[in-house]
Amino acid sequence: MDLTAVLILAYFALLFITLLWSSKVIQGPWLFFLRAFFPNWKFFHAVGHVPHLYVRGQAAGEWTGWYQVYPRLPRRWHHLFHNPAVNLALSHQNLVDHFASDLNALPDGADASQLPTYRLVTRLAHQAIQGDRWGDTPMIAVTLPRVERFQFELRMELPASTRSELMLQSPVLAVWD
Amino acid sequence: MDLQIATRLFLALLGWSLLLQTAEFFRLLTLDRVGSWPIQREEVPSRPVWVRSVLDHVVQGPGYVALLTLRLGMALALLSGWVSVGLAVALFVSSVLLLFRWRGAFNGGSDFMTLVSVTGLLIAQLTGHFTDNPTLGWRAGLWYVTVYVVSSYFVSGWVKLLRPEWRHGHALTVFLDGGVYGPLPAGSLYRHPALAAGVSWSFTVWEGCFPLALVDVRIAWFMCCTAPVFHYLVYWYLGLNRFFWAWLATYPAVLYCALG
Repeated sequence: MDLTAVLILAYFALLFITLLWSSKVIQGPWLFFLRAFFPNWKFFHAVGHVPHLYVRGQAAGEWTGWYQVYPRLPRRWHHLFHNPAVNLALSHQNLVDHFASDLNALPDGADASQLPTYRLVTRLAHQAIQGDRWGDTPMIAVTLPRVERFQFELRMELPASTRSELMLQSPVLAVWD
Repeated sequence: MDLQIATRLFLALLGWSLLLQTAEFFRLLTLDRVGSWPIQREEVPSRPVWVRSVLDHVVQGPGYVALLTLRLGMALALLSGWVSVGLAVALFVSSVLLLFRWRGAFNGGSDFMTLVSVTGLLIAQLTGHFTDNPTLGWRAGLWYVTVYVVSSYFVSGWVKLLRPEWRHGHALTVFLDGGVYGPLPAGSLYRHPALAAGVSWSFTVWEGCFPLALVDVRIAWFMCCTAPVFHYLVYWYLGLNRFFWAWLATYPAVLYCALG
């Protein structure tokens, strides 16, 4: 076995060992933006609670039900080449994931509304309740009347389970132009 | 694979991948009504002060359109086989700027792998320039890409194999149900536990064994020919089209670096 093969073997053996124990997560603002330089390649590896965004609106004093804002779009043949609406929808769910992570990291008693992710999720909830779309697909599955106020919730949910844990409920917010 | 063919294919596939990504970014200029740079910029560290100032000019408004246009031009240049140190540096810088525009990543892993290829290209060009040995430069760049891409499969496979929900096949159904094109139909074959477990084992073992591609060029060809099928299925169920092209661009590097 030549030296290159030995080095390759040693590298992957070391990599495997690192997978066996959970290491401390290093965080920081620069690292957040530049995390692409340190990918961990752990895609879809664990089944667990998933943060879901729910919105409701108030029209003529009456509240609608709660509706989930979750990316569900029809597949098209050209999506392999050009798929901006689906990728945007996935990035919005990513934003919800980051918001849940930011809330978890928030010290007790801190004001969540100051978080950039809170304000971005507020915009997402606002767009959803206003009937905005990912491409041709509405962000929420029903057509609502024009609302004057809205509210959103972040819930942690297990896949294939009806149990839902409320993580945050926003105050009632006015819609804007 | 011959170095010249590998580099030409690598450039063309990377250019194609960047072209598709940039076309999507152009479309997002009108589709995205949630992103807001005045809010997002607060996440950028305030020191050094010039960073926010630079970003204010290039990740919104006309500056952002110019950045995307430049990236489109660079993608076309790569597609036609043209590359230089200046292009590699500009492509790398534009990639970093996009990381800030999209809060670290727009599309997760595909952004990471694209950055790996762009960094590999930068290494190839800079090493070739400063050593006056383009062959050495390309060897360094392609090896850099190869180590990352093979590691990506290896980690992605083993991290699943180490978890019981993947070994039992349960996780596969959960993630496919949660996919953007989901949920699976009630009568889907993936809902049969034995089949779900079989499918899970087959692709996680395949991923975990990807480093064998480096040991023998025939295994490398087998892995690189089956990988597009795997990524196509990921796209089909989860909508991750960018992953397909970002990983495809790296296979010439793997085929070049495979021993024997």
